[in-house]
Amino acid sequence: MSVIEPAASTSLDLSVLLGDWRNTNALGGISRIVCEPAAEGRMTVHCYGRCLPEDRDWGVVDAPVFAFEFEGKEAGAFSAVYDFGFEEVRLQVNVKAGVLVVVTLNRFNDDSGRVNYFNREFFYRKPR
Amino acid sequence: MEVLREWERVPLVPEAPRIDISLMAGRWLKTNDKAQWIGRVDIEVAGDGLLVHVFGGGLGPSPADWGTARSEIVYGSWLTSGDGLAGAFLCRYELPDVSVELQGNLNLGLLVVATYVTFREPVPLANRFTREFFRQAEVGV
Repeated sequence: MSVIEPAASTSLDLSVLLGDWRNTNALGGISRIVCEPAAEGRMTVHCYGRCLPEDRDWGVVDAPVFAFEFEGKEAGAFSAVYDFGFEEVRLQVNVKAGVLVVVTLNRFNDDSGRVNYFNREFFYRKPR
Repeated sequence: MEVLREWERVPLVPEAPRIDISLMAGRWLKTNDKAQWIGRVDIEVAGDGLLVHVFGGGLGPSPADWGTARSEIVYGSWLTSGDGLAGAFLCRYELPDVSVELQGNLNLGLLVVATYVTFREPVPLANRFTREFFRQAEVGV
């Protein structure tokens, strides 16, 4: 479920992105994002939505990675798509100054009347 | 009401209010004096969507004129805020060698444009992410 099916471009160093990221806002919409390496230089993300009484596990999806320069060797951004039927969430994510900046584009496909919405949240990497 | 995040549990309303997209319209110029990936963005309202015309900013392989794409979707700035600010839009471009997903959003009067640039064929270059900032042109510019 990727935003863009990636071509087999040059393999990038994922170390800036990998890890267990926690929302800087305790009341944020996504509580946690886990970025892990996958086969052939790819990466997966695992998101948890902040729900009550406990977080909702969104599952693991493929996340194409991107560099900041065409000649870059290090990944600094990724995208991913979660499609739950009633709602589609597109994640557009980049690292800036050690912070994971997470934009979500949220589209409702149900009849709830909720407006498709844009949101931005910030995450820090949990120390190992 | 099914939710992915607790804040999505909002009171039901009869129908989704239309998102006011007029705030996005206009000519947007890069804030950076130096060459960059995108130099200018012209946005027109077209029904419930936007027509987004992108011009290169003189950096790298960015074409001088990307052409016009219609927004695939426009997002509100919040779950219940379809009555006011437009939050963001998404559109796609097919340029020589690369596919580009472009996301724009308004922030403090600036248009913030992020692109995800993906090569369609294997090349010794990296797929690239950009984020650049644009100010609205003064009337007559």
